[in-house]
Amino acid sequence: MIDQETIGLLLKGVNNVTWQSLVMIGVSFVLLYLAIVKDYEPLLLLPIGAGCLLANLPLSPLIGEEGMLVALYHMGVGNEMFPLLIFIGIGALTDFGPLLENPRLVLLGAAGQFGIFLTLILALLLGFTPNEAASIGIIGAIDGPTSIYVSGILAPHMLGPITVAAYSYMSLVPIILPPVIHLMTTKEERLIRMPYSSRKISRRTRILFPIIVTVLVGTLVPFATPLIGMLMLGNLMKESGAVERLTKASAAEIANTVTLFLGLAIGSTMVGADFLKPSTLFILVLGLLAFALDGCAGVFFAKILNWLSGGKINPIIGAAGISAFPMAARVVQRVAQEEDFENFLLMHAMGANAAGQVASVVAGGVVLALMGAGG
Amino acid sequence: MRRYTMNIGDREFVVDVQELAADQFSVVVGGESYEVNLSADESLGEAIITPDIKSGGSVRAAAPARKEAAAKPAAAPAASAPAAASARKPAGGGGKGTQSAPMPGTIIEVNVKPGDTVERGQQVAVLDAMKMHNIIGASRAGTIAEVYVDAGQAVDHGTALLKYKEE
Repeated sequence: MIDQETIGLLLKGVNNVTWQSLVMIGVSFVLLYLAIVKDYEPLLLLPIGAGCLLANLPLSPLIGEEGMLVALYHMGVGNEMFPLLIFIGIGALTDFGPLLENPRLVLLGAAGQFGIFLTLILALLLGFTPNEAASIGIIGAIDGPTSIYVSGILAPHMLGPITVAAYSYMSLVPIILPPVIHLMTTKEERLIRMPYSSRKISRRTRILFPIIVTVLVGTLVPFATPLIGMLMLGNLMKESGAVERLTKASAAEIANTVTLFLGLAIGSTMVGADFLKPSTLFILVLGLLAFALDGCAGVFFAKILNWLSGGKINPIIGAAGISAFPMAARVVQRVAQEEDFENFLLMHAMGANAAGQVASVVAGGVVLALMGAGG
Repeated sequence: MRRYTMNIGDREFVVDVQELAADQFSVVVGGESYEVNLSADESLGEAIITPDIKSGGSVRAAAPARKEAAAKPAAAPAASAPAAASARKPAGGGGKGTQSAPMPGTIIEVNVKPGDTVERGQQVAVLDAMKMHNIIGASRAGTIAEVYVDAGQAVDHGTALLKYKEE
């Protein structure tokens, strides 16, 4: 009855276990551990870990031709829809008020993107193709959806490691940013107080802001239109107050659903043979470097602003010029308060941080334009 | 839009309230417009308003006139413009007898009560601003004379939080 062939069929799964898939299952356990035990961006790392595990089980039907994970990938990752939907939610949650109160903070957001380009050059020197190098550099923005969007267009084969790097570092902002700040500033600088400047922003300004930014950025950097358009759409819905239900849905239900789909689909791209390459390690290291350089550039630029203003700007708010809204701003506030409990930089840092959010999107568009992508 | 004309003490305030959403109002007081977020709205039943009653529904309101303002609906007069207080004082208040909110937000915790003795820097309250919990440290050592705010109350920049006893 039971011949060799039947046994072979029954044990097909076991026979198809490869060392690569075992390693990747191990990687998925690490991601699940980080998400569940360490609480590192669990909303994304848990689905990514699960997607990675399910895709690496032997002969997984989930990544077969009509498999669910493949279907999710085609539904929203391959065509960039998921990161854009998440951006609507981010826009609906972002308060640009602190930036509008202090518009010169835009400069810090712009400075916070220099690391992207420095890392891009370094990655080129290390032998990555221009498209790959650009995708790695964008990790420095510490802006998950932008990283996914850009690398999805330029280097889809590196989507897995880039996404994991972007989200891991996002959760490590509170650990990585303070040493960067301390390295770049003196105690005297960290002690500079910046009183809250209360300026009322009219409702009209708040509503016009997303519209003007969309038109302006969309015209100047057409490649950034999808990202900035969705970000500002979310913000317009929030600020107008006209479509509260849509705002809430975008910020909660839609963003949550898409986050699950996105995580699973990204995780499913992390399949043994493609992931276990030295380049993955380089991506992780270079991404970290891009992040640190972005923070340094932001602080450095804030130092220049401080010098120009005659000592009125605390340079550490420059560190919030990276993206990672609003975590970077909170970290800056915490560093400031460690030095002086009466120093409340939060609103200034939030302004720089909101500027960083917009600037990282623009930087993504600029990178895409430089690479002549899309079409 | 509704217009409330109210007399508080000997001053008259004209407050225009426009409902933008269930919990969002656009309020114009004395020519200045504010966006007001209503974080709670509860009926206190048959309770009678006395000068000392604490406001149940907290609104984004400005400093003084607080006790008198407690009984009013969605809006409170921004009596003495917060801008006046903002420019001069360093962050964290530190004015003579009172300590004020360093930035707008919502008070999450109040850790002291009148009569308490505090060290400089000791935690007196927690202020939620931009969804971050900020510890407010005592601006000086001394004894607390009065506490003006409650947990759950929205404060603007410069809103008086508490007063120290003069020694």
